[in-house]
Amino acid sequence: MQTENPSVRVWDLPTRIFHWSLATSFVVAFVTSESEKWRDIHVVAGYSLAGLIAFRLLWGFVGGRHSRFADFLPTPGKVLDYLKSLLAGQPRHYVGHNPAGAVAIFLLLACGLIVAASGYATYNEIGGHVMEEVHEAAANGMMALVIIHLAGVVVSSWLHHENLVKAMITGRKQVHHENPAG
Amino acid sequence: MCAIDTLETDMRTSLLIAAILIAASGAGRAETPRDFLTRFEKEAGTAASAERGARFFTAKQGGEWSCASCHGERPTQAGRHAKTDKPITALAPAANAERFTDAAKVDKWFRRNCNDTINRACSAQEKADVLAWLLSLK
Repeated sequence: MQTENPSVRVWDLPTRIFHWSLATSFVVAFVTSESEKWRDIHVVAGYSLAGLIAFRLLWGFVGGRHSRFADFLPTPGKVLDYLKSLLAGQPRHYVGHNPAGAVAIFLLLACGLIVAASGYATYNEIGGHVMEEVHEAAANGMMALVIIHLAGVVVSSWLHHENLVKAMITGRKQVHHENPAG
Repeated sequence: MCAIDTLETDMRTSLLIAAILIAASGAGRAETPRDFLTRFEKEAGTAASAERGARFFTAKQGGEWSCASCHGERPTQAGRHAKTDKPITALAPAANAERFTDAAKVDKWFRRNCNDTINRACSAQEKADVLAWLLSLK
């Protein structure tokens, strides 16, 4: 298969299935949020999102190498170094998540938990109107993070000359030897 | 360690944002159903008609649902969600003092529910009529 550049397996299958399922459930929940006619679909999408995040939290400890939280814990130092290298036009290359992407992932997971919990509370009328406000604010925050994440994927793919979308589908990345960092 | 810091910071930020939003939405002075009626009549430029409101509320208008599909024919009583079957507290202010006291809620739910019933935004006149009818219910 591979002729010039060898490829390495980066994202294991459960992580990839999780990724696209989470993206789907979030989009479905988001577009069904405005009408009571879609309320049952919205709720099912919300439960799916919660279940998927629960799986990912577990997988972050027992999953494949680059899926483990310990593999991409974004310390302030690492994030700063990465952003500096980005501004210098020589971004350090990470095989797994880069530190900026890692921050987005932890924020997305946290946001998702808040959205799911406050959505459950709203649907079951626990905690009152406050939960509805929290639900909407957290969902909008999550959408903002998704947009930042997508922008990051585009910029990162361009800077590192690699197709990150394809990598999340096939699980493999081409091996490069520019500014290796981990 | 840092991931936990990030998570905590994010949660704190979210809670803070939520608190600000709630404070902001609560900061709008307490309003009464009459204040909303006055506002909608002023926007419409004509007086409200409770009779017209009653017809508007109970009749389907091209869509699958009318207001009454969820709020019931007699909104002094609790309604039932047409999709989920969950109870909905009474809409008439005489039966439920919380109704029509919060501008953010009133605007949000008119926006959502008008789209669900008549597939467009309600006019100020339609809102005035419905509210006039709801206020006439004892």
